[in-house]
Amino acid sequence: MIQPLRKTHRRIFLALALLLPLLFLSGLAFRHSWPTPAKPHKSAAHPLPSGATP
Amino acid sequence: MSHQYQAIGWNRQKRVYDIVTLTGVALYIALFISLGTLLFPYATAETLIIRAAGSAAFLLLHVVLCIGPLCRLDSRFLPLLYNRRHLGVVTFLLGSVHAIFAIIQFHSLGDKDPLVSLLTSNQNFRSLPDFPFQQLGFLVFVILFLMAATSHDFWLRNLTPPIWKALHMLVYVAYALLIGHVTLGLLQSETSPVLAVATGAGLVTVLSLHLAAGTRERAVDLKKLNTVTNGFVDACSVESIPEKCAAVVSVSGERVAIFKFDGKISAISNVCRHQNGPLGEGKIIDGCVTCPWHGYQYLPETGGSPPPFTEKVSTFQTQIVDGRVWIDPKPKAPGTRVEPSRISQAGVSS
Repeated sequence: MIQPLRKTHRRIFLALALLLPLLFLSGLAFRHSWPTPAKPHKSAAHPLPSGATP
Repeated sequence: MSHQYQAIGWNRQKRVYDIVTLTGVALYIALFISLGTLLFPYATAETLIIRAAGSAAFLLLHVVLCIGPLCRLDSRFLPLLYNRRHLGVVTFLLGSVHAIFAIIQFHSLGDKDPLVSLLTSNQNFRSLPDFPFQQLGFLVFVILFLMAATSHDFWLRNLTPPIWKALHMLVYVAYALLIGHVTLGLLQSETSPVLAVATGAGLVTVLSLHLAAGTRERAVDLKKLNTVTNGFVDACSVESIPEKCAAVVSVSGERVAIFKFDGKISAISNVCRHQNGPLGEGKIIDGCVTCPWHGYQYLPETGGSPPPFTEKVSTFQTQIVDGRVWIDPKPKAPGTRVEPSRISQAGVSS
């Protein structure tokens, strides 16, 4: 009576163990933008125009 | 049903269980909204409610899904199983709050009916980053509703345990859809690695626990028993069964619980009539085999529940030969009395 349910449960989880990590990793890999670390502001790279004060 | 009918048979354990659950959920939501208000001052109240309720439901579904395999792997987790259905209903209610506020915020301001808007506004089924993740969430909502609506014992009795169990296995479909909903929804717009790592950790935990428990159960099912005489099979040694507990063996494709109590051996089906709980993992309390899940009881000699209850499970003929328990693989009709085998000093009994 219950053994078929146990088998079904086992098969469901074998399928989920294959499909869900694939879905999860694909979702992350194909997202529009990855997080990038904020770059420190370098004042030397963008000199202030003459006469301006920081 | 009579004037004495009570929808829920409340007892102390259920009250404590529900109080702990509701307090935990309330604290989580309060903490989430407080921190959200501080860290994201531009977030609207609706956004914070949507995210607080959604994340609480997501977390709680993980807890619900981990309880089953944890109990199979370690009996100390059994108290969590006792009122798991209430956890499931709370998960559905949190999901409902999430869904209602999301529909109000994203689908109620246009010309279309909000439900039509939810189901038709995004049709990019071929794009992963633009996938219509809200439709996945809607399907999860429908499944959780079905499960919450049929969670009461009324439906369990009317649908019968195998059908009810099969219906409630839809929770695994709901979980898969929910992983899709979160991955293709929240994780596309919120790119914090913390969220991705937390979701991945939850997924790995649920999958590994279920696979570990399934592997262990399979080992019991695959164990071959030697046939001895008269069709009986050699099940286990008498010594291997702790007093007032059982050894569980797989016979003819089904499990049998062999109990030792008061110098006697009796064997009954391992499957509780209530929710298919594993009787062999229970104990004999007050002379009755007591299911570890919800406390349903059966007399070991007859497989019948003590009056006024009417549940019955199959019984099995046993013999004791040279300190070994032999069992007839053919089950007797549920409720059939079978004299227990007496454990004698000579080691041979029937």
